[in-house]
Amino acid sequence: MLVLTIATALTAQFVVGKTAAMIILLLASIKFLLVAFQFMELKKAHPFWKGMLITFLVFFILLLVLLLK
Amino acid sequence: MQTTKIDYKNVYYPPGGILLWIIIFLELLTFGISLIVLVVNSKENPALFHESRLELNATFGAINTIFLLTSGAFMAAAVHQFKQKQFKKATTFMNLTMLGGFLFLMLKGFEYYLKIEAGHTFGSNTFFTFYWLLTGFHVIHVLIGLIILATTKYSLKKKKTLVEDIEATAAFWHMCDLIWLLLFPVLYLIF
Repeated sequence: MLVLTIATALTAQFVVGKTAAMIILLLASIKFLLVAFQFMELKKAHPFWKGMLITFLVFFILLLVLLLK
Repeated sequence: MQTTKIDYKNVYYPPGGILLWIIIFLELLTFGISLIVLVVNSKENPALFHESRLELNATFGAINTIFLLTSGAFMAAAVHQFKQKQFKKATTFMNLTMLGGFLFLMLKGFEYYLKIEAGHTFGSNTFFTFYWLLTGFHVIHVLIGLIILATTKYSLKKKKTLVEDIEATAAFWHMCDLIWLLLFPVLYLIF
């Protein structure tokens, strides 16, 4: 996750425009899912909770991507 | 102390408890909608949002991300040690978790000081209104999380903690992490 954070910082520094935003949001999504599934142990939970979290993230990121275009 | 196994596959018993997960989803929805509204507002004046975003210190934001992620890792380790009945190690990891939270707050406080010194206050423009509101509410959550951590650590020392207590504490703390992981890129990086 520290590697992903550094990758985010490098992307913000060296990549410009909408591409940078998309990569940054993708990296944030990966970190988000890692925290939820690993740290919060959601991988052990009922599929309902996994599905809810993934659905939230997908909708949130999709809305952002559509708005940023 | 009770470290009984919980059936996490039961839909009513997600790790941390169903009440906490309802709270987590409500918080994610609240912050998520706020961030979407921020982006919608940016469409009215993209140049202003870009210039205002450049006034934020992304390095501070990245360092704070590292503080919170590391703190989250320590919290996960604390839960694991508690379940292994290694209560002293669990306490040590909880102390490290709280240290991460304090470091976050200290850097955030310094960042706020710099913003005020530069004249970027709540009413400066739309971007900074969102900045102060979103980061301010997040700071409040981190503060509440630290209080909960301290309370759980105290009961851990008194040997009164249930596994549900420490898992709920961990879930709330990780929620602060989740919110920050959405907040940081949208506020600090993409405009």
